[in-house]
Amino acid sequence: MSRPPAGRLAALFIAMTFAFATIFVRLAFLQVSGQAAELQERALDQRVRTVALPADRGQILDRDGDSLAISTPAVDVYADPRYVTEPWTTASALSPLLGLEAVDVAQDLSAEATFVYLARQVEPAVADRVRALALPGVGFLDSSKRSYPGGALAPQVVGFVGIDGGGLSGLEFGYEDLLAGRAGERTIELDPNGRPIAGGIDIERSPVAGSSIVTTIDRDLQFQAQTALAEAVAAQRARGGSMIVMDPRTGEVLAMATYPWFDPNAFGDSPAWTYRNRAVTDVFEPGSTNKVITAAAAIQEKAIPLDQQLVVPWTMKVGDYTIHDSHQHPVERLMLGDVIAESSNIGIVQVANRVGSPAMASYLSRFGLGRPTDVGFPGEAGGIMLPLNDWSDTSLATMAYGQGIAATPLQMTSVFATIANGGRWVQPQLVKGALDPEGIFHAAPAPKIRRVISTESAEMLTRMLAYAVEYGTGTYARVSGFQVAGKTGTARIAAKDHVGYLEGQYIASFIGFLPAGNPQVVIAAILDRPVAGSGGLAAAPLFQRVARICVTRLGVIPAERLPLPPHALPVG
Amino acid sequence: MLFGIVVLNALLAQTAVRIDQADRRIEALSQERLALVREQATLSAPGRIASWASRHGMRLPDDIRILHAPGVGSMDPAGAGTSSQAAGAPGA
Repeated sequence: MSRPPAGRLAALFIAMTFAFATIFVRLAFLQVSGQAAELQERALDQRVRTVALPADRGQILDRDGDSLAISTPAVDVYADPRYVTEPWTTASALSPLLGLEAVDVAQDLSAEATFVYLARQVEPAVADRVRALALPGVGFLDSSKRSYPGGALAPQVVGFVGIDGGGLSGLEFGYEDLLAGRAGERTIELDPNGRPIAGGIDIERSPVAGSSIVTTIDRDLQFQAQTALAEAVAAQRARGGSMIVMDPRTGEVLAMATYPWFDPNAFGDSPAWTYRNRAVTDVFEPGSTNKVITAAAAIQEKAIPLDQQLVVPWTMKVGDYTIHDSHQHPVERLMLGDVIAESSNIGIVQVANRVGSPAMASYLSRFGLGRPTDVGFPGEAGGIMLPLNDWSDTSLATMAYGQGIAATPLQMTSVFATIANGGRWVQPQLVKGALDPEGIFHAAPAPKIRRVISTESAEMLTRMLAYAVEYGTGTYARVSGFQVAGKTGTARIAAKDHVGYLEGQYIASFIGFLPAGNPQVVIAAILDRPVAGSGGLAAAPLFQRVARICVTRLGVIPAERLPLPPHALPVG
Repeated sequence: MLFGIVVLNALLAQTAVRIDQADRRIEALSQERLALVREQATLSAPGRIASWASRHGMRLPDDIRILHAPGVGSMDPAGAGTSSQAAGAPGA
């Protein structure tokens, strides 16, 4: 065996020494020049990836725990066009699975970008089929899809979320913090092939799921109320309408509808103005339903003996204006009960004059007008009520019969709920509480309660409202087997330029409760510009229909009949 | 001792694999549960049921009737047992 020549060994040794010396010098230079940390960071950046772990969004449930909104896992499919080698072949493979046009997909895959969404909120099973194709440049992100199983069921109340899962309207928006939970993240070290490096960095902060909201809405009652409202709007060729069903004892809103509505599963197909929950966010001049506040003030303040007969012509001069009743009539002699039953504007103005402006303003406020109910719905309106100092010569008169003042349908429902509840105002509620991810129920704060009028005054007013339904303007609201108490409203609509009112156009309403002797449900039926015009003709039948639904759905039973109030008009 | 450490490590690795599998199973079952809840809510949606019932000729009753058992209570409800059609002239 021959030994290698010493010269070649020496040359190899020198070359090796030089190579290692070069490396050593380079390393020393990098260390000394301070680039080491930067390079280390760059190397780590190439290996370490942080992936967001989305939190499961809580459900929105009805009062019985049925889902009104639910999120299910989904997958976003994206592409990095730089790595897509054959856009047309890839697009042809993807388009049938994703339900997209191949041309559009190919266009996305050929884009000058590093990231494009191909499809969002894809069903996991579909995503698995796409994943199995192992297409270069195509990636996947965990996501979720919000579904509204009932379709257009209380859509303005429930609201909807955007493509990124954030609430955009309704309770979805109002309770975003509670529903959304907290997203987590996972930081992991990957090899060049995208596989986790064993023993490398792997840090996970788990997401915290959102809580579910339990609403006071009764899903079945809501559906039937919506059906009745839609049919009434169609029959009356109205522009729209609102409907509220409330339990006066607890303030819980059992149904709340605004027509026209939309399907939150495809909210983009409907105009944005249909998203508004007008029962809470929009105000209207309540018209004659507001007379109950005037009457309540008169009874409570004993401003007029209940058996005193007022002389009521059909017109009356107030300041520079002449006000009149809804129809021409000879001079009548009416007691307060008759004024309510006949819905006399002139009569109620006379009553209001005896109450006086300060007391009237006080009762309007005590019944909750002029400020939001704080029902917990985003964008709730507080109504429009002039401060007493700004009242004109006609303010007392017009407010007495519900013009020159504006309230939301919910506020007016609350007024009647106060009377039904023996004079106690109970704050309306839309949310009963929240179910945390562990399934523990956390009740919402108890509703605020305040006394507005005495029990005796509320009962007398209830008798008057029952009289109005049995013999007055509200006869179309009668319900077989029950004594119903309620009031019609036919309100003029303020012109858009805020000067005067629209000619011959009205908001027709009927708000009432049953059974009068033991009220269990308050119903507000409001129609925007129905052909029948008046609340007694257009809205009372809608009330009647929904009241029947409530009787069967909620198991309302009749109560002892209340006697008629003092009255001057003949009955029977 | 070395053998013991290797065995212990293998056992730990096995347990880790089982935990990982269980986690995946929990995740899959949670997703399945949510999908089933959604399906249940969709199938029991009142609109769907009403539509099905309507197709099969069912309809809601036009009226309600309150029956009173003799001798029970002393209630005198308005219009008990009469038609729900309101009498008298409608109001304004």
